[in-house]
Amino acid sequence: MPIRIHSPEGPLGVAPLRLAPVPGVLAGRRIGLLDNRKPNAGALLAHVAERLAARTGARVSLAVSKSNAAVRCDAELLDKLRAEADVVITGSGD
Amino acid sequence: MPGETPAEVDFLALEDETAEGLFRLFEQRGWGDGLPLVAPTEDRVTAMLAGRDPDGEVAVLPPRFGTATNHAIAVNAVLAGCPPEVFPVVTTALRALAEPDVNLQGVQATTHPVAPLVIVHGDVVSRSGFNPGLGTFGPGNRANATVGRAVRLALLHVGGAYPGRGDQSTQGQPAKYSYCIAENAQESPWEVYPRSRGIDAPSAVTVHCGAGPHNFHDMESKSAAPILDKGASAFTSLGSNNACISEGECFVILCPEHAATIAAEGWTRRDVQSFLFERARLPARVFREAFEIRRWRPWMEAVSADDALLPMTDHPDNFRVLVAGGAGKHSCIVPSWGVTRSRTLPLDD
Repeated sequence: MPIRIHSPEGPLGVAPLRLAPVPGVLAGRRIGLLDNRKPNAGALLAHVAERLAARTGARVSLAVSKSNAAVRCDAELLDKLRAEADVVITGSGD
Repeated sequence: MPGETPAEVDFLALEDETAEGLFRLFEQRGWGDGLPLVAPTEDRVTAMLAGRDPDGEVAVLPPRFGTATNHAIAVNAVLAGCPPEVFPVVTTALRALAEPDVNLQGVQATTHPVAPLVIVHGDVVSRSGFNPGLGTFGPGNRANATVGRAVRLALLHVGGAYPGRGDQSTQGQPAKYSYCIAENAQESPWEVYPRSRGIDAPSAVTVHCGAGPHNFHDMESKSAAPILDKGASAFTSLGSNNACISEGECFVILCPEHAATIAAEGWTRRDVQSFLFERARLPARVFREAFEIRRWRPWMEAVSADDALLPMTDHPDNFRVLVAGGAGKHSCIVPSWGVTRSRTLPLDD
């Protein structure tokens, strides 16, 4: 006879976010870089973006940095990326 | 489980209420902390809630952003083995962890081995059987052990901080299983810690997101300065996040004998903080050579002389001093993860 036990998870408090759709073609698109301030993240992102632009015909439109890796990105910075970039490259581990 | 709505997993069928049966069920779901669990049956969860509104929302815990309702917390408290009388300590700790300045999303997700230290203060310590004395960090006391574990289980299950999924801690640390102590107010020469933070409540709970405790011992000194010099020395480490993040706090948990020696010279808690701020320092050059990326207050960056001694934290108040433990001459410091602030809240009802 099974025993009924309670789940430990609790309801979700915030609806899960989904990734934005990926543009099918990058030619002519604007690439934004968001440096998360991990060591060398800026250099790595810049290199990746340059190669991506050279291969696809996109262009790097702006590069910005979070204030610190351990905190969320400022809303103003996200607004700027939304306004001035079509795709954003970010994220680097230690 | 992927694809299931919360309602579908409110209840589970446990075929076999043995430790092994519960292990299997939780392993299948990717739940648990790896230790034996107490089955959260209807009777146990109801007893843990003790009449509280099960839907009452206490906190939303990232990175899963699950809602820590009274019910969800009660389930995790049962799993951890909590006696019902410590339940308000668990809810207060989780409420405190959800305060914005704690930066729980960063705490949960970082590669650093940070874990929330829960410190219990006031009447609830003796009323609910916490151990503020010998061996307060454990093991051996049910209230200390299970409250720390219940907080961790809620951070796992509700918050989604599973190693490799929500929690990217490179090595983890033992304090991620359970990390709860009680203030030894009976043997403290100073006012209780919450009052020093402006909280005048019969009982309170502090959370501090930090590294593991680092012992410092002094068996010989009969005055304050040499004891605290050892604490400052333990804290003054380039390996600590405090070295590159100046806003980080450092909890200084003094044993009663060290505290008595320090207070016998007339030192206040503020004196201890000021002394540690003055003594826990390194030359500016050493910091700068070690860290290209720093999160320092502007006044620290403006100090240009290489041999100027800069502090490990940017303000004396970042040293948070309290007494815990029993006989013997061992104290400890608990450095900060860095981009987080401790919180002290009055105990929930």
